[in-house]
Amino acid sequence: MDAEATKLLAAGISMGVGSLGPALGLGMLISKALESIARQPEVSGDIRTNMFIGIGVTEAVALYAFVIALILIFVA
Amino acid sequence: MKRGLVAAWLVLGLVALAALAFIPGGHKTEFSVAEEFELQPLIELPSIGPVDLSITKAVVYLWIAAAALIVIAIVVSRTLKPIPSRFQYAVETLYGLAREGIVGSVMKSGQATWFPYIAGAFFFVLTSNLLGLIPLPFAEHHQFGFYAATANLYVTLALALCTFLFTHYAGIRKNGFVRYFRNWAPPSAPPVLRQLILVIHAVSEAFRLVSLSVRLFANMLAGHAILGVFFAMALIFQSYLAAAALQMGSVLIYLFEIFVAFIQAFIFAILSAVYIGGALDQEH
Repeated sequence: MDAEATKLLAAGISMGVGSLGPALGLGMLISKALESIARQPEVSGDIRTNMFIGIGVTEAVALYAFVIALILIFVA
Repeated sequence: MKRGLVAAWLVLGLVALAALAFIPGGHKTEFSVAEEFELQPLIELPSIGPVDLSITKAVVYLWIAAAALIVIAIVVSRTLKPIPSRFQYAVETLYGLAREGIVGSVMKSGQATWFPYIAGAFFFVLTSNLLGLIPLPFAEHHQFGFYAATANLYVTLALALCTFLFTHYAGIRKNGFVRYFRNWAPPSAPPVLRQLILVIHAVSEAFRLVSLSVRLFANMLAGHAILGVFFAMALIFQSYLAAAALQMGSVLIYLFEIFVAFIQAFIFAILSAVYIGGALDQEH
């Protein structure tokens, strides 16, 4: 395989495998947040704020893989 | 009678939708998603060493965001009413979010000192993100095009550098230079483990700069790339039926991008507050 095809393949694998972890993490995080809101609806504002922080940090990991894929396609 | 009318309209709508599949497509024109992010200099200025000072699209967008924020702030603060108008209410809600939601709920000390920076970062990132969703005439040949200043790694790196420098400045000013760095390794740990924890903490502090900037940059870049793909898909399929379906998809993804703009500004501000607050109270 020549270099160009390998780079594109690596970009695809990077994005594909690199979004497995964050997807699982986001699912666990949001399900825990929903459970806590159901248990104590009066603090749902606090829980929602912290859930969004957690979503932002977890989603960033998927975006690192996205940036690597972009570097492989356009820059390398 | 009324149900018959509704059924007639439904049948007419479905027939029109099916007829769209048979209208021949238009001419195909070139569209590349990546050309939105290429920066051409609008005014050439000489470069100082490796830093190119020419005015590009990103610089103009940053100026527009700053000007918009200044104008909004002056207008709202000059015309404050006891029963707020809708615009004043919106700005007050955002201010309350920055004050209680971000600084008040996360920082234990130094709230009054650091609230201006955190609120400034929140409003500036929010304005830049939302400006990227308004088409302005800065694309090629002065056509209208979308571009977000925060979709540029250098812009987000500059913002994250501000947070990074302010974190360490706040910590050093409060605890003194040597004690601040020595607090990175907790004294209640065995000696060999202390060096390891110090190294790991130092690496994670340095990585905060990378993660803060790349998170905002990649979110905005991915959002605009998806918007570009959705808007241009009708050209690729070359049929009016696909264009009609994609129109609704484009609207949905545009609404999602507005949501992402707010969320990313909020996350940038609240993580900055967490880092600065963590540097101020190091013992916990």
